[in-house]
Formats: sequence, C-alpha cells, structure tokens
Amino acid sequence: MSTGASNPEYVNARVRSRRAAMLSDEDYRKLIRMGPSEIARFMEETEYEQEINALGTRFSGVDLIEYALNRNLAKHFDDLLEWSEGHLYDRIVRYLRKFDVWNLKTIVRGIYTDSDPEEISTDLIRAGELDDGTIDRLVEVDSIEDVIEILDGTIFAEQLEDAYEEFEESGALVPLENALDRAFYENLLEDLGRPREGPEAKYVEFLEAEIDFLNARNALRLARSGADLDPAAYYIDGGVLFDESDLNRLVGDYDALVDHIAENKRYGDRLSGALDRLRDADSLIQFEHALDAALLEYADTLSSVYPTSISPVLSFVLAKEREVENIRAIARGREVGLDENEIEEELVIL
Amino acid sequence: MANDVKPTRKNLMAIEDRIELSERGHGTLEKKRDGLIMEFMDILDKAQDVRGDLAQDYEDAQKKINMARAMEGDVAVRGAASALQEHPEITTESKNIMGVVVPQIESSRVSKSLDQRGYGIMGTSARIDEAAEAYEDLLESIILAAEVETAMKKMLREIETTKRRVNALEFKLLPELYENQEYIEQKLEEQEREETFRLKKIKEKKEAEEKAEREAERAAEEAALEDAQPETAAQSPAANQ
Repeated sequence: MSTGASNPEYVNARVRSRRAAMLSDEDYRKLIRMGPSEIARFMEETEYEQEINALGTRFSGVDLIEYALNRNLAKHFDDLLEWSEGHLYDRIVRYLRKFDVWNLKTIVRGIYTDSDPEEISTDLIRAGELDDGTIDRLVEVDSIEDVIEILDGTIFAEQLEDAYEEFEESGALVPLENALDRAFYENLLEDLGRPREGPEAKYVEFLEAEIDFLNARNALRLARSGADLDPAAYYIDGGVLFDESDLNRLVGDYDALVDHIAENKRYGDRLSGALDRLRDADSLIQFEHALDAALLEYADTLSSVYPTSISPVLSFVLAKEREVENIRAIARGREVGLDENEIEEELVIL
Repeated sequence: MANDVKPTRKNLMAIEDRIELSERGHGTLEKKRDGLIMEFMDILDKAQDVRGDLAQDYEDAQKKINMARAMEGDVAVRGAASALQEHPEITTESKNIMGVVVPQIESSRVSKSLDQRGYGIMGTSARIDEAAEAYEDLLESIILAAEVETAMKKMLREIETTKRRVNALEFKLLPELYENQEYIEQKLEEQEREETFRLKKIKEKKEAEEKAEREAERAAEEAALEDAQPETAAQSPAANQ
C-alpha cells in the first residue's frame, strides 16, 4: 500500500490519455457487424494488440478475445495502482479489490473442484490489490484453510475464517463466496465517514449507489426466487436505499419492494423506466441492465464535476470495465448467433 | 406339414387340443395387442407433449446460457457452475403396464433454490440465476422425456412382439393345425372306408364260398339221388313179372 502524498493530477492526466484510446460509438457499430475472428483482428489494430498477440498461441476465437480483454483490463488497473499514491491509492484500491474477490472466488472454486493450478491461473484477472506472488502462492495450495492462512492480514481473512466453519458444516461454497463479497462491500465505505460536499462526498455517494444497487439487486432476486433465505445474510450496510429492517420487511412483498425503490429520491427518477418494466416482466435482467447503466452514468457525471479528484479515475475504471463487457458481449453474442439488434440492446454505452 | 403327421386318432385328439389352446391364446393376444395399442396411444400423446416441452426448454436454456456467457463472460458462468455442490440424482423404479415393465424415473436435487446452487448470491447476477433455472427445467424435461420415451419404446417392442405372435397363430400355426386336423380326419375316414370295403369283400367272399359249398353239397345230394333211382327201377319190373 502506498503511503506517500496523493497525486490525482498526475494520475488523471495518465487516465485521460487511456480514456482517449477507448473504443468509440463508431467502433461499436463496426464491431456489432463483425464475426468473432474479425473482432479479434480488429482488436489487433487497437490497444488490445499486445494481449491478442501474447495469447494468440494458447487460445482462439471468442476465448482469445475474452482472455485478452481480461488481461488488458488487469494491465490498466494495475497501472492505476502503480501510478497512484497515498490517499488516492487507498480510494482506488478499495474499488479494485473487487478483482481480488473475483480471483479468490476463482481460486476457492478451483480448489473445491480439484482443478489444475494452470487452469485456475488462466481465469484470474490480476487487477486487484493482491500482488502476483501472493496470487501464485494461492493458486498452488491444496486446501481452503491454506488460502485463509495466506490471506492473513488482508480484509478478507476474518470474514473467511468465520465462514469456513459454515462451509465445513454445509460443504457448499456459498458462505465463503458471500464472505468475500461482504468483506469487499463492507470495506468500501470504511473510515470514509459521511462528507457532505466536495469530491469525497461524491465518491462516497458513488460507493453508496454501488451498495444500494447491490442490495436492490439481491433483494429482488431473493423476492423472486421464493427461497427461504435470511435477507439479513445478503444485506450490506452503508447504502441509503434500505436499512436491514426495510429489507426484512420488503423481501416477502415483491411489489412493495419495487415501490420502495421507485419512491427513493436519489434513484427513483433514474430507475423509473426500468422499475416500470420490472413490474410487468418476469426477468430481472433488464433491471440489472438499468442499474449498470445508472452506475456508469453516475461515475461519468462525477468525473465532470470534480475533474482533479478520484472521480475521473473511478469513471475510467467503470468505463473500461464496461468496454470490456461490451466487446465480450458482442463477440460472444456473435458466436452464439444473436442478431445485431439483440446485441445492441444488451450493450451499455454512454 | 400335414404329411409329417401320423394319421392316428390320438394325434387328431392332440391336434384338436392344440387348436383349442391356440384359438384361446390367439383371442387373448389379440385383446392384449389392442390394449397395448390403446395404452401406447396415450403414452404417444404424452411423449409428443413432453418432446415439445423439451425442445422449448432446450431452446430457452440455450438462449439464457448464451446470454449469460455473452454478458457475464464464459469464465464467470463456468465459475458459477463449478461451485455446484449437490449434483442431481436419479433413481429408477419400474411399473407394469399390461405386462410390460416400464421404468419410472425419480429425480432429486434437480431444481434448486438460490442458496442450493453453490455460488454466492452477492457476486453473481440474475442472468446466471436464470440460466441455472432454465437448465434445471431442461434437466427435469429430459428426465421426464427419458421415462416416457423408454416406456413408449418398450410398449412398441411389446406391441410388435404381440402382433407377430398373433400373426403367427393366425396365419401359420392355426392354419397348419387345421390342415393337419383335416388331413388326419380324411385319412381316418379313408381308413374307415377301406375297412368297410375290406369287410364287405370278406363278407362277400365268405358268402360266395358258403354258397359254393352249399351248391356243391346240393349237387352231391342230387347226384346221389340220381344214382339211387335206376337201381329202384330195375328192381320194380322184376317184381312185376
């Protein structure tokens, strides 16, 4: 962890140039009309060239595209952590620990299914806080207990230790996976307080939105599934949309839950269209889609309000993630025969 | 073949017994065949519905997994799938439909609730839930289709076998038995006629012999009489003189 002074100006300048290299609307329009191999070739002519060439001998088709995208994402986010210092580093790493969660889940699942370490390693996105040496050690271990031991001192260790007993009793990975997610989300707002104005306030607002959207998403999934699950186990504290008692009360009543989200001052208007569709539709997918778009828009707005804060970095992180998801969606969509309109509907482009 | 059968009364009685048994069997098998066909038609309707559902479920599941792979990425979908702890299990029992043993497949742990799928809820999305749910539905449909279609195939095989048996009785065994019966009856009648004729001939011969004997006796008597008459005449003139 970096301990020097914060350097948002430097990082933002670097981020601006990276952002300029991202795909434009016109590029997406071209990509939608291409097949998987044409997309791979197109990517070779963009900033993904290095990853495509490096992985070209091991993978082909859409797998090549997906792994190249993940590696490129990891490279960019790793650079962000390398450039940033002090306070800024802390703010960025809080968000990028989601990739540590991804990697730890992948490793735990790999151990659970007795997978080959090399296979596990392939699926990792090395963009989080955990360094390569730690990740390599984690990939090589044979038991989840060893994973917890190696993670000692990180934000994940305590939650994982608590969940391990439950894992041993049930034999299911759910408690471990939930513990990792919970550790990440609970740490997002830790020590940040509730600043009322300035870039920090906007940063907190964005993180609150992330937590609120996660709570909304999970509450709706629980309400839809009808499973007898304790909503409190899936509730993350820190948002403004629900408190724990709201969630316990609303999970049993789907319509009341949707009304509750619609009535919220901060998100109601932003999500009204998606909520209207949600009342009639069977699927939560469109709503999740709307949440993703809202979060992206949120971050983008923040970057223009405070251009020399963490906001542009956060906006870049989300935009880059979205770019990777969009390209992957186009490539996979073309591979499985989705038509242009279907793919276009699934893309979130600002 | 009729020529292979010995035309004896004992064989005739045995053939008559076999004819009676075969006719009774033929009737029973015909009823069984008709019953099986009726049952088969019911199963066929069900199988067509199940097939339709299966095709629909497959299409739905493919679409949902494709969307999940496209939007969440192949790695995320594979990861979520690998977290599965309890794999579905099936047990087979059997039930009897008109003598045909068909399987009854019971499945467990196919449809799962959100917490039974193994992956963490907080870090996944509704797309993965929907893909998992669609595949659970598909698996249920496959199991049902396996049960119904196996029953249908077994019924069909049994109908074929029964039909062959009915046809064998109707067009092969019974005609042969009738032919043998007729052959033996004809032979026996013929033997009877020959016997009658033979007896008649013997009787005629015997009568002819008896007649000849009687005639010979009569001739002998007459000759004896004739021999006796001249002697008497020769004695009479002498007496007159």
